Amino acid sequence: MDIFLQQLANGLTIGSMFALVALGYTMVYGVMKLINFAHGDMVAASAFVGLTIYTQVLGQATSLIAVIAIFLLSAMVMACVGILLERLAYRPLREAPRLSAVVSALGASLVIQNGIMLIWGPQMRIFPELVPQVYWDLGGVVISLIQVLILVFSLVLMIALYLFVEKTRMGAAIRASAIDQDAARLMGINVNSVIALIFIIGSSLGAVGGLFIGLYYRGITFNMGWQYGLYAFIAAILGGIGNIPGAMLGGMLLGLFQAFIAGYISSTWADAFTFILLILILIVRPTGLLGERVAEKV
Amino acid sequence: MKRTFRNILLTLSAITLMAGLSWADTLKVGVQAPITGSYANEGQGIEDSVRLLAAQINASGGVMGKQIEVIPCDDQGTAMAAAICAKDLVNKGVAMVIGSYTSTCAEAAQKTYFNAGVLQTSDGTADSLTEHGYWTFLRNSFPNSAEAVFAANYMVNVKAYKNIAVVSDFSSYATGLADAVIAEVKKAGGNVVTYAKIKADSQNFTPVLTNIKSKKPDVIFYAGYYTDGGQLRAQQVALGIKADFIGGDANDNPDFMKLAGSAATGAFIINVPSPELLPYDVAKDFLKNYQATYGKLPPSIWTLMNADGMRAIIYGMEQTKSFDNKKVADFLMSMDKPLPGITGPLQFAKDGNRIGSSYMTFEIQADNSYKVVHAQ
Repeated sequence: MDIFLQQLANGLTIGSMFALVALGYTMVYGVMKLINFAHGDMVAASAFVGLTIYTQVLGQATSLIAVIAIFLLSAMVMACVGILLERLAYRPLREAPRLSAVVSALGASLVIQNGIMLIWGPQMRIFPELVPQVYWDLGGVVISLIQVLILVFSLVLMIALYLFVEKTRMGAAIRASAIDQDAARLMGINVNSVIALIFIIGSSLGAVGGLFIGLYYRGITFNMGWQYGLYAFIAAILGGIGNIPGAMLGGMLLGLFQAFIAGYISSTWADAFTFILLILILIVRPTGLLGERVAEKV
Repeated sequence: MKRTFRNILLTLSAITLMAGLSWADTLKVGVQAPITGSYANEGQGIEDSVRLLAAQINASGGVMGKQIEVIPCDDQGTAMAAAICAKDLVNKGVAMVIGSYTSTCAEAAQKTYFNAGVLQTSDGTADSLTEHGYWTFLRNSFPNSAEAVFAANYMVNVKAYKNIAVVSDFSSYATGLADAVIAEVKKAGGNVVTYAKIKADSQNFTPVLTNIKSKKPDVIFYAGYYTDGGQLRAQQVALGIKADFIGGDANDNPDFMKLAGSAATGAFIINVPSPELLPYDVAKDFLKNYQATYGKLPPSIWTLMNADGMRAIIYGMEQTKSFDNKKVADFLMSMDKPLPGITGPLQFAKDGNRIGSSYMTFEIQADNSYKVVHAQ
């Protein structure tokens, strides 16, 4: 039983990281009907930005304030990169066929990935131990401080995002733009600024996810964005792409699924089963777990 | 317009001609190493050491009058890129290839070099590397089977561990070492409670470690590379698994300590002596030059092993007074007196294996230095 609970704790930790990243995919898709393939690389970039902020700007100070500053500054930098990405890679193609935008997204992904390699080099960079290695043994189940922080912090961010989208005027504008951009525009909503906002929120959440990856696993490489991006993308589809609670649920479920497959079957098969799950979801319930059935506009 | 075109054409052909002439005069040394990717610091170490040796040899007149030209190729630590590198280096007409760092990459490239008659020297420790019968291959390190004997003896007889867990990834090196260690542990009467495999670079090893925890081992022997090893150790400690951790030779890299953080303290690593422990004059000279040129010490012993491989081949060429690779290989595999190497006496068996091994167990201290706790 404690093995099961331990795998559960493991799964929830990686699941919440997937969920944070998945939110970026799902929000952009919800409003723009575009898969932002560059999102995974943005996540990787944020880990490198965070590390640079720590070593260059904060002078390697290790304290609670330093950690908070890393999160805030990285999120701000990545939000700016997100706006830039939307301006340069997606806005010029907004009226173009869907395929052009997808190709542009893939191109942006390569540009960011290679940009990281040019700036920070091809070798693995290593995060310092910013969160002390404290862990508690709860009757056979061991939970570390960083796991708790990741889980709690992710949940708080996700609930805040949910409330923001559901309860505020800006949130209503986002939802309206997601349903019909033209109608939203006629109602006096500035869709351009809504899209910019989407990229700011998505990139900042991605930045938090990237920093969690850096803090938890410590080793970061320029090409890691592809792997995490892919998992998060699957999580978004699993929960129903375009649906915000769906991305949270999808991320958590994917994390648990991977932990249990790797724990009870084999770590070799974890990826294979993840993709089998994706195929099954697409066959049985193409809109995902929480996605509502939307009539295709003709 | 026409004249401009002709001038360009003339210049181009002149350049090609000059380039062609200068090529004819050089001895081309290929470097096949993971210059980017997870093992980049090892790959860059190999390239740096080959360039340093080349510069030293060129400054003293080259190899029998020929200047050395270094041609690097990045295999990224993947078999696919390694196979492409091999073709590329052969096409560029290299006489020898130094590398690669991983056994998988060395093995993927071996046949191409064999077919082209290009000498290859790698630190790859997988036993399979010397089992194909390629006369072109020289191992500049010691095979897994030798390390397995030492590791098994250390775990079963010296430390008297009752329950041993073995972990590897899917590379030629790691599975080879893990299989050999398991066989040797069983031979020595030890008990292997579980053999788990992780996927390299997947970062999240907690599911596998949780399973290992349920088997209650006294020690975890990890046969893979440092990038995963450091994270594995960190996650082992975070999961509260109280077993000792012993990393195989490929965990001997400063990044292991950085990745494991405070969890590195108390972990053991089994390898041949680390660079600063080498007592030889050749070693001290080389390390001094390396430090002076690059402003840092080599990332690990593997850099020096590969440098030794290159020194051996060039020594072979000078002794046989020939650039005939077959002759050089025959000479190297039947030397009666070893060549003093950076990493110890250099001598090769008929199958290309390096002769004579000396392993040590290091314990990582709180300040990330090594303490030798057991030596062969």
